[in-house]
Amino acid sequence: MARIIGGIGTSHAPSIAHAYDKGSQAEPVWQPLFDGYGPAKEWLKRTAPDLMIVFYNDHMNRFFFDAYPTFAIGVGDTHKLADEGWGRRDFPDLAGDSDFAWHVARSLVADEFDPTICQEISIDHGILSVLPLLWDAPWPAPILPFAVNVIQHPLPTARRCWRLGEAIGRAVASYPKDMKVVVVGTGGLSHQLHGTRFGFMNAEWDNEFLDLIERDPEKLVGLSHHDYMARGGAESVEMIMWLAMRAALTPQVRRVHRNYWGPLITGYGLVVYENQE
Amino acid sequence: MTETARDRDDLPGTFVFTGERSRAGYRLNKLAMSMTDPANRKAFLADPDAYMARMNLTLGEMDMVRRRDWARMIEHGGNIYLILKIAGTVGVTLLQMGAQMRGETLEQFLATRPGHNLMKRGAH
Repeated sequence: MARIIGGIGTSHAPSIAHAYDKGSQAEPVWQPLFDGYGPAKEWLKRTAPDLMIVFYNDHMNRFFFDAYPTFAIGVGDTHKLADEGWGRRDFPDLAGDSDFAWHVARSLVADEFDPTICQEISIDHGILSVLPLLWDAPWPAPILPFAVNVIQHPLPTARRCWRLGEAIGRAVASYPKDMKVVVVGTGGLSHQLHGTRFGFMNAEWDNEFLDLIERDPEKLVGLSHHDYMARGGAESVEMIMWLAMRAALTPQVRRVHRNYWGPLITGYGLVVYENQE
Repeated sequence: MTETARDRDDLPGTFVFTGERSRAGYRLNKLAMSMTDPANRKAFLADPDAYMARMNLTLGEMDMVRRRDWARMIEHGGNIYLILKIAGTVGVTLLQMGAQMRGETLEQFLATRPGHNLMKRGAH
């Protein structure tokens, strides 16, 4: 049977991709971020998962407001990289596992979650900004991308994301093939990218979030979008995608790693958890 | 829990991207979305007015884009992730947009950042 071995929560940001592509990894303002991914990369190398499920959001690259899905699942065998408006990054496309992904889609719908099922999906910085910090290309395993609307309100609630993660857990557990799966949630932490509140960050709240998601996630599940936006800035509402990751794991987890660095306009967070059998 | 007016309007300096804003900003956002195609970026840069007219922008919307008035575009219903594509096409960075939306120069804005002292001069 397939089983989830652990999870990763990580920020995603164009700035991370930009710093990476410019070779800024050793600059003082970026080093604490990039070095912070070392233990996560090491853990993935050691545990060698057969597949990665990633909860992320599309930043207006695959989807537009002509028809914007609340939830969308990529079920193809390949996921192309997006041109976000400044050219495609120089990395290989991602592989998918179509059999597994269709199983997850069937299981979710039977479980009363109804994602838009995408045989073609393109991947933007919601996944790709951090993927090279976790894995070396060529990518060692397929990815199942799961997009969540955190952009156009009304958004799914924090609790809905939690329940989605639980349903993903059941979907993995019912897949007959022996597979080790890692679940990733991307986004946040505090940031606001528009208006006169541009640049709003809240390191204290970010760290409280990192405490709670590990030990007492129910406190986060009960918060409204307004609570998230007030505490962490309008765009930080992405943090609800970490809840889907956490819900797919065991109630108690072993923390492998945690990092936080917020030098510019985004509180960059990272956690790695192992399931407790 | 259904979204209330509080969810939209009480955060200072913030325009929560609601259905109402998405509707109002639809043409502008659609133009921005087209910037994900390199051929469209080229066509826009070659003749911005003709391109915007082809995308059915109103005169007011064209004016916002011509003036690079990011704050006004957001207020009008532009989504930040889409407006960023227009900015990228015309060579403006997110940090420059942000400083302008706050009414600051880039240097003034960067001086407010926690990592300011770690930044290489001219590295952004």
